[in-house]
Amino acid sequence: MIDPIHQFNIDKIFTIGHIGNQEIAFTNSSAYMFVSVALISLLMIGGVAGRQLVPGRFQSMAELSYEFVANTIRSNAGSEGMKFFPLVFSLFMFIMVSNMIGIIPYTFTVSSHIIVTVSLALLVFFTVLVYGFYKNGLKFFKLFVPSGVPIYILPLVVVIEIISFLSRPVSHSVRLFANMLAGHITLKVFASFVTMLGAFGFVGWVGAILPLGLTVALTALELLVAFLQAYVFTILTCIYINDAIHPGH
Amino acid sequence: MARGFRLSSELIAGVVVGAVIGWGFDRLLSTSPWGLIVFFLLGFVAGVVNVIRSAGVSPERTGR
Repeated sequence: MIDPIHQFNIDKIFTIGHIGNQEIAFTNSSAYMFVSVALISLLMIGGVAGRQLVPGRFQSMAELSYEFVANTIRSNAGSEGMKFFPLVFSLFMFIMVSNMIGIIPYTFTVSSHIIVTVSLALLVFFTVLVYGFYKNGLKFFKLFVPSGVPIYILPLVVVIEIISFLSRPVSHSVRLFANMLAGHITLKVFASFVTMLGAFGFVGWVGAILPLGLTVALTALELLVAFLQAYVFTILTCIYINDAIHPGH
Repeated sequence: MARGFRLSSELIAGVVVGAVIGWGFDRLLSTSPWGLIVFFLLGFVAGVVNVIRSAGVSPERTGR
């Protein structure tokens, strides 16, 4: 009955087709991705439909999210980074909205599966690689050669810099995934204490007030984490894009 | 908790990537176990470098 991992189950809703012997299914994860995209589209399209000079509630939400992401890009990657605004804005809104949906009980959190966060992080990683080589050519390798390092330890430093660069998508994705997974498991474990204590009769119900209060507090914390992790993902994306635009420290 | 996760994931990512590179190096060139040993240690160093950078101890090298 009490299974904190059950919430991460992937259930097949219907089958789309087959590639080789591999079944391609529409799962509850895909459904929640569609729900988040639909919510974002509703907010953005509905928000800017009015085009009032003095924004209403809907429009100011859309404008606030635009301003927020635009300021993050400008302060971390400079105004040249605004070329990547569509990518960064989509990433931020998708992660934030899907995390927010995941807070609601009985829903599924898309970013609690590492495959989703890894594909987002690899998207950023390859964007940085492709754009870095396109923009700077071979000068992009300056990223791995910090200035002011003595020549005799330079080979070692270059190897370390390359490993550090390759570890970016790993830490980028694991951070978001681990935060969402751990937060949701903690929430479920504390919630299950309520029912377990409730089995002891009246004294148990009185004692269950403590884990119940903690669950409420943790939900508020999770709301913060959901936003914060989307923000951290965005900031790191901006920092990596900044490296692609201006390699060499 | 968010900060702890951030720093620990940086360290673990460095170590894991270093170990994977070393393992692949060994498989390709059959130099086992030297590639794993060397790249595992280099991965540790890279992980520590990552942690120092993301903690913002040396702001002139954070890449901003």
